[in-house]
Amino acid sequence: MKKIKFDGSFYLNPYLGGVILGTVLLLSFYISGRGLGASGAVKSTVAATVNIIAPEHVAKSAYLSQFAGGDHQPMNNWLIFEVLGVLAGAFLSGIIFNRLKLKVEHSPKITSRRRLIFALLGGLIFGFGSQLARGCTSGAALSGMAVLSFGGYITMIAIFGTAFVAAWIFRKNWI
Amino acid sequence: MERKYTILAILLIVLALGLVILPRTNEQKETNPKVLLSAIAEKSRYLTVDQVTHRIIENDPTLLLIDLRTADQFKTFALPGSLNITTDSLLSQANLELFSQPGKDKVLYANADLTSEKAWLLCTRFSLNRIYIMKGGMNEWYNTIVKEKSVTGTPSSADLDLLSFRKAARQFFIGSGETVNASVNPTINEKIQVIRKEPKAASGGGC
Amino acid sequence: MLRRGYSVKTGFKHFKIKIMIGSIISSGIISPAWDNLFAVILGMGFGFALESSGFSSSRKIIGTFFGYDFVVVKVFFTAAIFASIGLLYFSYLGLVDFSTLYIQPTFLASAIVGGIIMGVGFAMGGFCPGTSLCAAAVGRIDGLVFFGGMFIGVFMFSEAFPLFESMFYSGSQGAKMINTVLGISPEMFTFLLVLAAVGMFMGASWLEKKVKKVNY
Repeated sequence: MKKIKFDGSFYLNPYLGGVILGTVLLLSFYISGRGLGASGAVKSTVAATVNIIAPEHVAKSAYLSQFAGGDHQPMNNWLIFEVLGVLAGAFLSGIIFNRLKLKVEHSPKITSRRRLIFALLGGLIFGFGSQLARGCTSGAALSGMAVLSFGGYITMIAIFGTAFVAAWIFRKNWI
Repeated sequence: MERKYTILAILLIVLALGLVILPRTNEQKETNPKVLLSAIAEKSRYLTVDQVTHRIIENDPTLLLIDLRTADQFKTFALPGSLNITTDSLLSQANLELFSQPGKDKVLYANADLTSEKAWLLCTRFSLNRIYIMKGGMNEWYNTIVKEKSVTGTPSSADLDLLSFRKAARQFFIGSGETVNASVNPTINEKIQVIRKEPKAASGGGC
Repeated sequence: MLRRGYSVKTGFKHFKIKIMIGSIISSGIISPAWDNLFAVILGMGFGFALESSGFSSSRKIIGTFFGYDFVVVKVFFTAAIFASIGLLYFSYLGLVDFSTLYIQPTFLASAIVGGIIMGVGFAMGGFCPGTSLCAAAVGRIDGLVFFGGMFIGVFMFSEAFPLFESMFYSGSQGAKMINTVLGISPEMFTFLLVLAAVGMFMGASWLEKKVKKVNY
């Protein structure tokens, strides 16, 4: 049995990680009837925040009014709790495998600043796209694929297909 | 490739193969006769022609109309959006899957009620749910919507609404050129729930 | 186990001998108040699985697109097929009623366009929402910034919604399943998917050995 180094470099065998993730996904459907997700929590938080700051704006917004305002409770949402769990679980893994480290991870060929700018822009664009597609890689693609949803597969193919091309375009940031 | 991965891959393939090979024994469950009897006695399977027409006009996505008549009759005239399934092909695998489709109300109609009742009984016997009958079939539909069916006695306001709805419906289907000065929303006092929502997946969902 | 309840198939009340339920919460075996608790627990499993597989590192994630680390492909597809097989077996054994599960609805135009936009964001930021959370949880500032950027993006979408509204609602096909589109049974689709995935894994391992190593 290989000795595990707890210096932050150890990663689970990816297939084992996949089986664990698949089990969690399966249990999620079995227990709660739905798959995992992440971007929905962002949507709920945005809706709730805007509702606190400017409720009239939410009422006028065709999109946000579906999730906040009136008798909607955007924060009392399965995904919000799940996201808290994700943070906790990842943190736990970070502790166990000694990967807790405050840093900006970037290719040595670019600066931290450039990495952070692209992270921000990437997140912005991703957030925009996730609303349009009604999900992200976890919610639409992964969970959608688990239940053989056509929309889920379409979104997955669109994301990964585009990312292959786009990563090549932005390759200076990575390799 | 390492041996352990080969073993795991084979295991996975065998598992998936198992899914394909395993017999579909649990597909058609027959309903208990007592339950069937109580279902027959219950009248909630009927939809009036007005209710069905209303949903056709509204383009209700949960409505699935099944025309049980012969192909020739179907070709001559059928309600918009209906599928033609003759009674002898009712129990084919493809049609049974169609009937098990979640999220849709399957409304059967034929010329009168007899064929629809038979078909409904067959479907219910196979534990299919959300199957309804348009009461009176095409005959009733034609008499009510296309020809004007007068109301006996003094018409109440509900009746008048119904009449103007039918006028509007007639225009929708045939285009009679009559002017309609009432809205197309009838007030229907029947207790039959017209199910418009998707069947509740108990969870919300969406990312 | 005798259980009185609504049979999902007939909708009539009667006694059932077999354990035929939807998901546990929907069939009321456990009260819905526990749902959020399970959400946290499941989330923890999710986060742990992701982080321990290495998804807190954006350079590891992006490795798939440059061929030096296919962890994304391996984890993602293993999880998807494992869950699919599991759900189909559960369904066969009557443990789960597929019709009560949330199936991502298909809105053709917005799924494709949204996916493309997300692909761009993915390549720029090197994360997706779930992995950026994992990264943020172990102290990666780029993960935190990515996640923060999402809030702005979501807000921008809500503001720009009238422009996209028609696309957002167009091409609705309901909860369509991919095996229906291909005209085969769900089991057959999953089997073929497993074959394809095993092929992909073999190809990925082969490619990883060929590509120039990157230190990250």
